[in-house]
Amino acid sequence: MSERTLAARRLALLAASLLLMVVGSKDIRALRAYRETVVVSEAFTRQVPLSTYFDGIRGTLMDVPVFVFDSGVPGGSVLILGGAHAYEPASPVMAYVVMENIAVTRGKVFVIARANMSASTLGMLGNAYPPFFRVKTPWGEPKYRIGDRETNPLEQWPDPFTFVHYPSTQNLAYQDSRNLNRTFPGRPDGNLSERTSFAISELIRREKIDLTIDVHEASMGYPVVSTYVCHERAEEMCMMAAMMLSAEQFPMKTENSPKSLRGLTHREIGDFTESFAVLMETPEPFIDKFVGPMTEALMLTGKDEFMQTAADRGLLYAEYDIKTGATLDYRVGRHLGGAAEIIKQMGEFYPAKKVGVTWPTYAEVMEKGVGAFLHDPAKAARERVFRH
Amino acid sequence: MILIQAIIHHTYFLLSALIAVLLVGRLFRRKTRPGLAYDIVYAYAIIPFVLRALHIK
Repeated sequence: MSERTLAARRLALLAASLLLMVVGSKDIRALRAYRETVVVSEAFTRQVPLSTYFDGIRGTLMDVPVFVFDSGVPGGSVLILGGAHAYEPASPVMAYVVMENIAVTRGKVFVIARANMSASTLGMLGNAYPPFFRVKTPWGEPKYRIGDRETNPLEQWPDPFTFVHYPSTQNLAYQDSRNLNRTFPGRPDGNLSERTSFAISELIRREKIDLTIDVHEASMGYPVVSTYVCHERAEEMCMMAAMMLSAEQFPMKTENSPKSLRGLTHREIGDFTESFAVLMETPEPFIDKFVGPMTEALMLTGKDEFMQTAADRGLLYAEYDIKTGATLDYRVGRHLGGAAEIIKQMGEFYPAKKVGVTWPTYAEVMEKGVGAFLHDPAKAARERVFRH
Repeated sequence: MILIQAIIHHTYFLLSALIAVLLVGRLFRRKTRPGLAYDIVYAYAIIPFVLRALHIK
């Protein structure tokens, strides 16, 4: 083969590879560039970047917007923290439903819908799941990112051999250095995830947040599914809220934050700020390791035959029936009901910290679906539409 | 500390770009293993390094 023919062949192969790269990375690029749209309610007061509270994250993807809904009436304050783990999307969707429908009559509510924005810009390595899912609404099908558990290595790399949590010095798995729910209370000169945790801790301290609600989803083979996990200072509130929910709405457990497991919001925010710290988990079959194809339908319905087999054999920590699954409506409704109840209980236990707030209830979401509570940005006033 | 982290982080992208360039060089100019299979491997192996250098993946 002549040199010229050989060079032509190699050039053709290089072009084919680059073409393959462009085509193959289309979804990856789309996920990274996509921004979700939210239409905030009339209770919206202001939006500030998270870097307002700590400049060390300014200019990064972690400098996410903080939405404030202030009644102007003295009372308590609540922070709803969504999207710490991006692959648990009932969390940011719950935050969006809150932001779009909230009415505040006393105190104020802060919402971060995507606490780890970076984690929402990639999928999980080895899990071939779609980058987006769509929610049916009366006006269209807005799509939302699914994302990963940890901060994107494009924003934070390399991982240490072992992640040493600050300030406890407890050794954690290497990938936990990019896990926003293992890096609290944060470190101002730490890695990007630690700095983000520090910024959120600073927000809580400076705004004197009375109650922080960190919203998650859990695999059904994980014991704390359908559970409040609470710092010991919030123990009584959580027990009461879980009892009320279980009696009136849906099964809810409660457990105390383990003192020996460091870096989690329910432990570190409780220890390093004055806020009550509560984490909520709903059942999300999509992230269980033994489910079948991880499709958009599975994300929306939670129906999976392998999950049913596991349930039949008593291997799950929450009730499961494939006929009902664990729909996005159910999971978002649970979070809305769970957050409303714990806020209510804080007001019962500590009247000075009472927050008067309403948003769609669990029953309403189950009846009408999440989409009924998401508003059409095309018909909303421009100042109430945010891309996120 | 943050500065050192940033330097390491950006060095990573530079190294990715450097390896991509080296692979392209080897694709066209190498003295051993001139066969088609190796051409394909060299061309294909470039992809992750270019994706990383361009901050795509």
